[in-house]
Amino acid sequence: MKRLVSGNEAIFQGAVRAGASYFAGYPISPTSEILQQAVLYSEENPGFQFLQAEDEIAAAIATISASLAGAKSFAATSGPGFSLMQEALGWGHVVEAPCVFVNSMRVGPSTGMPTQPAQSDLLQIKAGSAGDYYPIAFYPNSVKECFLLTATAFNAAEESLSPTILLADAFLSHLYEIVDLEDIATEVIPRSKEPLGRGQRLFTGTVHDKMGNLKTNDSEIYRGWLWELKGRHHRAAEKYPLFEYLPRKDSETLLIAFGIASRIISSLKDRFSIFRPIRIYPVLEKELNEVTRSYRHIIVVEGNDGQYASWVECAICRKVMRVPCLGGGFKLKWIQSQIEECLRGTTR
Amino acid sequence: MDRSYKELLKLRRFPHTWCPGCGIGAVLKNVAMAIKELGWNDKNTVAVSGIGCSGRMSGYMNLDAVHTPHGRALTSAETIKTIRPDLNVIVLSGDGDLASIGGNHLLHTSRRNPNIAVFCNDNEIYGLTGGQAGPTTPKGAKTITSPRGEPNSPLRLGHLLTQQAPYFYARTTVYHLNHFKGCIREALLWKGFSFVDIISDCIELNGRRLGFKTAHQMFKWFDERFHIVEGERDHLRDDELGIARASEEEVIPSAERVEKKPEIPMESLKPFTLEELQRFDGTAGKPIYIAYKGKVYDLSSSPLFQGEKRMRCHIAGKDLTKDIDGAPHGEDLVFKFPVVGRLA
Repeated sequence: MKRLVSGNEAIFQGAVRAGASYFAGYPISPTSEILQQAVLYSEENPGFQFLQAEDEIAAAIATISASLAGAKSFAATSGPGFSLMQEALGWGHVVEAPCVFVNSMRVGPSTGMPTQPAQSDLLQIKAGSAGDYYPIAFYPNSVKECFLLTATAFNAAEESLSPTILLADAFLSHLYEIVDLEDIATEVIPRSKEPLGRGQRLFTGTVHDKMGNLKTNDSEIYRGWLWELKGRHHRAAEKYPLFEYLPRKDSETLLIAFGIASRIISSLKDRFSIFRPIRIYPVLEKELNEVTRSYRHIIVVEGNDGQYASWVECAICRKVMRVPCLGGGFKLKWIQSQIEECLRGTTR
Repeated sequence: MDRSYKELLKLRRFPHTWCPGCGIGAVLKNVAMAIKELGWNDKNTVAVSGIGCSGRMSGYMNLDAVHTPHGRALTSAETIKTIRPDLNVIVLSGDGDLASIGGNHLLHTSRRNPNIAVFCNDNEIYGLTGGQAGPTTPKGAKTITSPRGEPNSPLRLGHLLTQQAPYFYARTTVYHLNHFKGCIREALLWKGFSFVDIISDCIELNGRRLGFKTAHQMFKWFDERFHIVEGERDHLRDDELGIARASEEEVIPSAERVEKKPEIPMESLKPFTLEELQRFDGTAGKPIYIAYKGKVYDLSSSPLFQGEKRMRCHIAGKDLTKDIDGAPHGEDLVFKFPVVGRLA
């Protein structure tokens, strides 16, 4: 049935479609509606459980523990809450708990501008927790994609045996579009991990060998463990090389944008080529190299001060120009004037 | 002596990481014995722990064990119990982990009252990191972060936890062995959140600085500091060992204890038309009546309606069914007033 659905509801329904049966959260703008959805849904479906935790630390730990206990689980928050969840995110990578963290970004740092959208938590998904880890992160730009990519994030979590991240922004969370959720086909990968109560395993955040013995002084074991983790994540990520590329033949300029920024600049597709990465992390290195090769100018339009642009520069070994939309200001006219300025040679 | 509890210990990982004389071994052994006695095994029991010397306990048990980040054992255990009510969930951790970094989770998990048993190895010090003052370090005790004596009073877990809804709090020491065993058993059998505060010794990183030569001297010190109290208690004083638990009535969830008022049959009520009802609007000393869902209530005793014709948006002498359903407060505010009739 076609109806008006918000981004938040689509994310929740996408999780349910993927088989999620546990949600943990703490009220925070702009994802409070997901918690609300969970409460309403659990009243009709006793198999679905939720926890309104005392803080995001507990919410994230509950999500990972639920995953260990055998449920597909997810948590939703925004930037400040995601900062609190970092501890559990790192833990989830070591104990190999597949689950999904939704981060609907708002202007930071700290409380920042709570009702304004931003795209400034990209570095936080990769580098917020201690140590090296390789999360997989997707970023939709429409309500339909919110649904689809949440389900995809659950599948990628099962394949990488780790938490994956679904990014959104305050715009997208509160964006209403007419979609038919029942009509969207998704693939669902079932739980692969044995739940608790099946043996004598130790799920620990300390580095351990295959037998579950803690190995805190052995760098050989640590290296082996980390390469295995990295390999597993990259193999899982390679199955989802998601992007959208709108080429325009006579354009010398490529705009790179994702999430809500890509929606806003989509009306420029008659003048410029547009590349929209959907898998934000790991960075689409191969695809970016192929696409950017034929362009003289590359401009990254994003809601932060060049976080993705720096990743693109690393990936393609070339300087790119930046249009940072800061403080929730995603105005097409302003973006257009900034692009013109970039092209006139006043790079930033 | 029955040694079958050893099946529950990962003996292949021994010798363990703890110092000679440490109380954690006694905690691990006695918890394992109690679990064995109750017939629990690796198919129906999960051990959860945090970080610290005592956090290593779960890893030495032949159970599925979860070793969480620092302080998060309770949240983790609660969630596991939510997802898998068929599993018995025990938490083995320490005072620094549960009461300091996990203090917020201790407050809220005990408030939500999941059916888990928590064993807190309370050695009054941060042992693993070298002997810093912890949340339960007694006032005046010298540690490496309080060389002139700890200036603050310790967190009184007994007082804290017995404030919560249906509580089970037991205090015991590793020295009072029979009492200790009894507390563990009672806690495992308790339906709800049970917390056993096991006063334990850390001879290497706490005791020696306090002037004790051996663990045994510390045990003697426990014997001087504490005494066992028998019988049912609802609170424990700071020098008492025993079990404080909520009484029967408090254990029953409050939702089930709500008294139901007997229903008055509608036919026997005096009928009111809307015009008649309008006259009872509180003016000139008349009572204040309102109608809600077909019944007429006397709101004269309401302090909010007193002397006034209306209270905010609710007007006396009217059918307020729609207003109250749309109001931010619930309908229970109306139900406490006497019913005087019904709408004709």
